[in-house]
Amino acid sequence: MDAIEVNDLYKSFGDVKAVQGVSFTAEQGTIFSLLGPNGAGKTTIIAMLSTLLRPDQGDAKIMGYSILENPMGVKSVLGVVPQEIALYEDLSARENSTFWGKMYGLRGSILKARVDEVLEMIGLTDRAKGAVSKFSGGMKRRVNIGVALLHKPQVIYMDEPTVGIDPQSRRNILDSVVALKNQGMTVLYTTHYMEEAQELSDKIAIMDFGKIVASGTHAELVKIVGQLDRITLTINAEGSQVLETWKAISGVAQISSENGFLTVLAEDSNLVLPRLFDSAASLNVRITSVNILEPNLEAVFLHLTGRALRD
Amino acid sequence: MIRTFDIMLKDIHQILIDRQTFLFLLIMPVAFTFLFGYASGGFSSGSSDSRLPVGYITRDDSWFSQEMHELLADSEVIRLQEFPANKLDEMDKLIANEKLAAGIIIPERYGADFLKGKPIKITLIADNSATSTTTVKSAILSTLIRLDSAAQTANIMEQMIGNRTPFDYIFEETLSAWETPLIRISKIESSAIDPEVNETLAYISPGMMLQFAIAGLMTCAQIIVNERKSRSLQRLFTTATRRIHILAGHYLAILGIIFSQFTLLILFGTFALKVNYLRNPPATFLVAFASALCIAALGLLIGVVSKNEDQAVVFSLIPMFVFSGIGGAWMPLEFTSPTFQKIGHISPIAWAMDGFENIASRGLEFNSVLIPVAALLGYATAFFILAAWRFQVSQEH
Ligand SMILES: Nc1ncnc2c1ncn2[C@@H]1O[C@H](COP(=O)(O)OP(=O)(O)O)[C@@H](O)[C@H]1O
Ligand SMILES: [Mg+2]
Repeated sequence: MDAIEVNDLYKSFGDVKAVQGVSFTAEQGTIFSLLGPNGAGKTTIIAMLSTLLRPDQGDAKIMGYSILENPMGVKSVLGVVPQEIALYEDLSARENSTFWGKMYGLRGSILKARVDEVLEMIGLTDRAKGAVSKFSGGMKRRVNIGVALLHKPQVIYMDEPTVGIDPQSRRNILDSVVALKNQGMTVLYTTHYMEEAQELSDKIAIMDFGKIVASGTHAELVKIVGQLDRITLTINAEGSQVLETWKAISGVAQISSENGFLTVLAEDSNLVLPRLFDSAASLNVRITSVNILEPNLEAVFLHLTGRALRD
Repeated sequence: MIRTFDIMLKDIHQILIDRQTFLFLLIMPVAFTFLFGYASGGFSSGSSDSRLPVGYITRDDSWFSQEMHELLADSEVIRLQEFPANKLDEMDKLIANEKLAAGIIIPERYGADFLKGKPIKITLIADNSATSTTTVKSAILSTLIRLDSAAQTANIMEQMIGNRTPFDYIFEETLSAWETPLIRISKIESSAIDPEVNETLAYISPGMMLQFAIAGLMTCAQIIVNERKSRSLQRLFTTATRRIHILAGHYLAILGIIFSQFTLLILFGTFALKVNYLRNPPATFLVAFASALCIAALGLLIGVVSKNEDQAVVFSLIPMFVFSGIGGAWMPLEFTSPTFQKIGHISPIAWAMDGFENIASRGLEFNSVLIPVAALLGYATAFFILAAWRFQVSQEH
């Protein structure tokens, strides 16, 4: 069953077309990622799917509840981790958790037990009594995530939960996202880090300028750019001097020269690169720069949009 | 629905951990009550006239009555406040309101009848149960005894000496011989009226209380502003909590805070300042509650319209100054022109002041607070509707 079913959503802010006809589905118990650079429209989609923003056009169903017709139904199955910290900073981690637990309908001993569990999970049991305002950025993020999980929602949205935190906290969060999926939750995850999308996702939609430019499993997406590594080089000579020789090197599938850059497509850059350096030495040419792009989401994004993901 | 109370408790917790709250809601009003109280002589009972105010109407202009008036006017116990004979109603009202401890009416031909030894009746209007009445009675009685004795003596002298000494001369002489009255009247502290001291404090106390309740709204409003700015409000909207319940939670929190403040300050006013709030507890309660409903709704509105914390402060201070200034929190509106009084009643503070003063200092009955309470409820409703409307509109996209 599809836990999330998004149908042709549109949203503009004045002249800015933030979301332009986005559709996708996420199966229950899977992680679905929206991958795209800043300004792609990820947060706007999350806002519409959490019924905070009304779409200009289109609809979506979350566990069968329409965001237009039954926003309360949607909210009842939802946990949202907003991109920006959304907590009462004058209150402690425990007070925040307890309050938000109540807002998610938990009471009494269940509430208390869940608050303890979540504080343990985000590693803040020892600091639970401290005011959130005194926390580091990473600790705040963890509380920000924790409070959305108190009620074990069926569907959880996480909007760039790892932005601006230390590697260890990040590792922690990524592991807990997988743990959530293993508990049967459906996760809608947004990020501009392709490694995260790659590691976590069952399905990925690549977004740019309010549109999904490609979607599918990681393997499916990578196929768009083929299975070959892309090596981009510059040399201290005309490209034509090496072009013919390098074409013949074993492992090189294709080579082209353009604007002073040589682009080599190869099955395995690890094997091919030393051969290229040997050949260059024998031709008395120096290789002045090398850039290797493995067939990953970064390459897919570059291929589809002509821009790097991390602009 | 239960989430409304959760939100209320959360807000109250946040308001109470902010030290500013106590400063504005309790410390400032108490401090300013003392400050204003001293400035306007509310505490300096030593130099002021502490004699019991007694109304006086005379329908007899005989020299005898004038004599009596002079004696009473010199009394150490009562302070005569004269009324023209046709202003009996006015005097009655003031007595009913306990502005006067009693009223004396000297009937027509009183002097003449007195001198003829006819039975005489001076009308004394007073609350018989009040201790002050006994005091007034004894003062009058002692004066009458002095007059009577003097008249008797003069009569006797006149009879003895014949017509050689004029009656009135002897009367004067004898009267001065009685400088020490036969009946000494010990000064009794009146419970009904403790003049001056509470007159001043009776408006400063509620005035400061109301003024700083509005000032205290800045803390309450900041909680709402911060909830929005910290995006906690957005997060609340992603939970299955209705907007009206969120708004109601905030409202109840402010109401709870303001009403607690009123309760503490009314008790302080009653026991420390001897303001007569508890003369009619249900009426005072009603006025305090309606005022709290009104000011809390104003606080909700400030919280919803303020874009940041600074605005919350400014939007709290402006109504504080305007409403308190024109609403008579600093100076009784009775002292101003009728036009100003009308303008002043644009301020909900004026109605709240009316309510508190009608009970604590004008001594009116329960019914007298109904109109002020109705006005306050009207303001409360208006502020709340405005706040709810802004809350709704500001979240729509
Ligand atoms: N409330 C808003 N008002 C105006 N423009 C907005 C608003 N929210 C987002 N935008 C614009 O919409 C586009 C998409 O933004 P957003 O959804 O936040 O992207 P992302 O989350 O992928 O970084 C951006 O150009 C952004 O500037
Ligand atoms: Mg975003």
